[in-house]
Formats: sequence, structure tokens, C-alpha cells
Amino acid sequence: MTVKALYDYTFPSADRAENFGDDQLVFVHWAGNPFFCSAAAFRAPKAIPFAEFIQTMVEPWAASDPDFDSAAVRNWRLFDQPLDTGDGGKTLLDLGVTHKALLSFDA
Amino acid sequence: MTTVQPRAKKLPLKERYSLLTRDLDWEPSYVSRERLYPYTSYEGIKIHDWDGWTDPFRLTVDAYYKYQAEKDKRLYAVLDSFAQSQGHLSLSDASYLNAIKIFIQGVTPLEYAAHRHFAFLARYLEGPAPRFAALCQSVDELRHAQTQIHTISNYNKYYGGFHSWSKMHDRVWYLSVPKSLFDDAMTAGPFEFLISISFSFEYLLTNLLFVPFMSGASFNGDLPTMTFGFSAQSDESRHMTLGLEAIKFLLEQDEDNVPIIQDWIDKWFWRAYRMSALVAGMMDYMLPKPVMSWREAFELYFEDQMLGGLFPDLDFYGIKPPRHVDLAIGEKDHLGHQVYKILHNFSFAAAFTTSTPTDEHMAWLSEQYPSTFDRHYRPTWEKHRRIEAAGGRAFFQGLPQLCQVCQVPMAFTEPSDPTRISFRHSEYRGETFHTCSDGCKWIFDREPEKYVQAWLPVHQIYQGNCGGPTVPDVLNWYGIKEGDNGEYRGSADNTSWLEWHK
Repeated sequence: MTVKALYDYTFPSADRAENFGDDQLVFVHWAGNPFFCSAAAFRAPKAIPFAEFIQTMVEPWAASDPDFDSAAVRNWRLFDQPLDTGDGGKTLLDLGVTHKALLSFDA
Repeated sequence: MTTVQPRAKKLPLKERYSLLTRDLDWEPSYVSRERLYPYTSYEGIKIHDWDGWTDPFRLTVDAYYKYQAEKDKRLYAVLDSFAQSQGHLSLSDASYLNAIKIFIQGVTPLEYAAHRHFAFLARYLEGPAPRFAALCQSVDELRHAQTQIHTISNYNKYYGGFHSWSKMHDRVWYLSVPKSLFDDAMTAGPFEFLISISFSFEYLLTNLLFVPFMSGASFNGDLPTMTFGFSAQSDESRHMTLGLEAIKFLLEQDEDNVPIIQDWIDKWFWRAYRMSALVAGMMDYMLPKPVMSWREAFELYFEDQMLGGLFPDLDFYGIKPPRHVDLAIGEKDHLGHQVYKILHNFSFAAAFTTSTPTDEHMAWLSEQYPSTFDRHYRPTWEKHRRIEAAGGRAFFQGLPQLCQVCQVPMAFTEPSDPTRISFRHSEYRGETFHTCSDGCKWIFDREPEKYVQAWLPVHQIYQGNCGGPTVPDVLNWYGIKEGDNGEYRGSADNTSWLEWHK
């Protein structure tokens, strides 16, 4: 079904990838931790290495929970599919983490 | 000698009403009917007889203004008395006003939006009776906005968070939830607007959305809010009846209307229900003297009155209970807890304060939610208590993922597992869109062209459209000032309250 309108109803997405330039939105969910009401949203460079993304963006957020232990982070998933992050040197783009992707981890 | 002519007899009310409404109609002669009423056919609704619309109240303009003026006199007498006697000092606690801050920021602008759009319908509906009904409701909604502003502005002299509510409504993250719902309705056609606001909002859910605020005011010593609530509630009863009249009128006009209306009921029940989540959090956590739990209110006002009373009647027309209603029923033991967690996590960026529930309040929650609170929610609050006992206060040091449709942070859990967040997503034109539930995903997939345009506050902040990249930049752009936000204990309101009650 489509919108019923009196005119051609075509508008661009408010959050289309081009609005973020070389960056993109990435959502990160700490699974099973109700201390956080929801997953967090980040604006991250597409070319940022995964380890740097975790260290500079995800960990400061996760540390809102005083029980957070960065050494315990494991089982990264991309939309519920296991994600092999390797040594953390690959970029988000190389790992297939695209605009508005959802990453999850256990800790 | 002069002869006094006997005055003409007054017309009976029914006849006067008819003269004031239907007989003011005319057939256009120098423009076509389609040009005069361009919006009443494209939605697919078929109307064969506009005179089939009956107004059960047959209220005339003069009677309407006389009645409303009497109510206003009573309200403004209460406001004067409350202001002169420093009535705010007799509230249950200053923290109660957090609920009223959400009301003026979130609800009052909707009254004004409703005023605007019912005025639009008063021009563009084809039948004179529905035009007149829309005109009356438009005036009602303006009056509601005005009386709410006048009532609540009294608190602005003494407490934070009551200023700039109109600007905040257009900008602040949690207020995009009610704003986007009304924007959605106002950008639909006139019949969908009637089903969205007059039926789903004013009839199906008004008691859940409006009454809890008024009951909360009564329980917590807020006589002015209670009085404007009573004043508005008599109008709401009329709006509810008109909402029912509207849907029955549309259903009776043509069988082809039934599936269109069922589709709108399915959509707008879920949209309005998701917005009511803010009320659930307020009822369960924000009233120092709680009235009833969300669960109890949902059972009384929705399950008993609507599913048990209204929908069996509508079955005659072929209308079924809303799609996804079972999900709403399944959430009733969780909704208030999950929503207040959002507000507690993010009140550093809100124009109200929050606090971790006290022992006494947790005992009440445990009693109200025997199967869920102690098991799923108390442990997290206990953890917050430990952090606060050590001098801390934990907030969410970042921004949340939002639902593309309801715009609430994605905090709701799977129907079958309250420990797992419910993530849904759709692909449209090569882009991913996240939704919080089967209800919101269904709404997105039904009209993706509409929801891809959503102004999601978090994404707008990241696009640089909200005053700057830092939290202080964004708060400044929101109009939130130091002392409006954050933790209640130790806040400006709390400090003043304790000082005034030494």
C-alpha cells in the first residue's frame, strides 16, 4: 500500500546516507543489560577501524554502567548474524557495517 | 394608544439547530463542487448522503458560548484563589510537577494543533452538520489550549521547566513523539484525520491519555489542573460522542468504506497507544501519590470499556478490534517500567527531572505488578540506588536508537521475552529503517514514503541541525536551562521546595 495523495508523493529520506558524508549512523546494543533502556546511536566514519570505533565511541558510552568491563566484551553480531571483527583493524565498511546497521555484543 | 406586538415564539431547539447548521448550506453555482471541496474523494471514502450525519448534542453557538463562559468563570476563580493563597505549596511534592511539565510540553500544543485542523475540516467537509461539529470542536480545542496555558503558567513563577514549552514541543526528543503523531494525522486526508483524532485518540484512548493526568492532579493537591480537567472533560465527552458518530456515519454510507476504516483503526490505535506510553511512565513513576497503575487503567479504560463495550457494537458494521491489540495487552505489565527507564536514562536532556523510585514507591510497584516488577525491574533500580548511595547518578552517556514510526527510544521488549529488546527493521529504496515493534513495522511498511521523512531528533542532532555537536549546544537549542533537567533530588525545584517547607 502507498500513501494516498492528490499529487505525486515522492520525498527523499530524512536520514539518507548522503546527509552524513563520509560518516554513517551505527547502532550498538549491549544485549541483556537493562541498565540501558535502548541501543545507542553513533555517528561514525565509515573508514574508522573497528577497534578504534569501540575504544573511542562505544566504551565511553558503555561505561555509563559502572559494572562495564571492556575485557568482557564478546560475541559481536551484525543484525543478529555473528560478526568476525578479527584483530579490530578492519574498518566498519570492510566489515559490512553500513549506514544504520545494528551491532550487538554481550559483556 | 400604542399596541404592543406579541413577540414571535422561540423556535424549538431542534428547529433552531437545523436553521443554524443544515440550512446554511448551499449548492455552489460559480465553482464546481469538486473545486469547492477538493479533499473529500481521494481517500476512497464514499459518502452518498452528507445529511446522514447527526449531531447528538444539537448545540447552538449561543448556547455553546454561554455554557463555556460559565465554566471559564469557575476555572479562573479557582486559578485566582490558588495563586493568591500560594496553593502550590500544598502540592504533594514539587516532583509531582514533572508530570505537569510533560503535559504542557506534550499535550497542550496538541490541543492547539487540533484547533487548527478542526478549523480546516470546518471549511472542507462537504456536509453542513459535520462542518459545524468540526467548528465547535475547533473552538473547544483552542479554549483547552488557552485554559491549560493559563492554569499551568502559574507554576512558571516558582519552578523550572515550564518556560519555552512551545519551542520545546517542536524540538525536544521526547516531544517528537506526540508532535510526530499529530503531524502524521494532519498530513493525512480529512477522513483519516477523523478516524485518527476523533475516533482513535478522542474515543478509544482519551480516558487513558487524559484522565490519569486529572486524577493525578486531584490526588496530588493540584486543584487548578483538576479544574481545567473537569472543564475540558465535558467537552471531551462531546468529542468522544462525535468520534463515534463520525465512524458510524462513514461505515453506514457505503460498504466499501469498511476495509479502509478498519485499516485506519489498525494504524491509529497503535500510533495513539505508543504515544500513551509516556502516560504509562508518568502514572507508574512520576506521581508522589499514585492514583492507579498503568495496568489497572489499561484494563479499565481500554480492555473493559473499549474491547468489551465498543468493539462488539462495531462488529455489526464488520469492524474488528485493532490489529496488534494483543501486543498492547501483553505489554501492560511492562510498559510503564520501560518508559520511565528511558526518561530516567535521559532526563539530563529533558525539561523535567527524574529520580530512582523510593523503597515505598517500589513496594507500591511490586504490589501493582506482582508478576513483573520484582523480577525484571527492581534489580536495575536497586543498582541505581547503590550508585546514588556512593554519590553518583547514572545517565545514558550518549544518544538512543529511535523507532522510525513512534520515535520513542527502542526500549520495548519482545512479546515472548521481556529480557530481549524488540528490534524490527525494513528495507526501503536501499535504506534500513528500524522500528520498535510489529505494530510500528506494520505501519512503516504500509506507507514507507511517509515515514522515511520522519524528523528523528537523534539523527537530526548527528546531522548538525540542532544547535551544535555537544550536549550543552543541543540543550541551549532546545531552550532547556540549567535546573530544568537531570536528577530531582538536589535540583533547583527540590531545593526550593525544602526551603519553603522548613
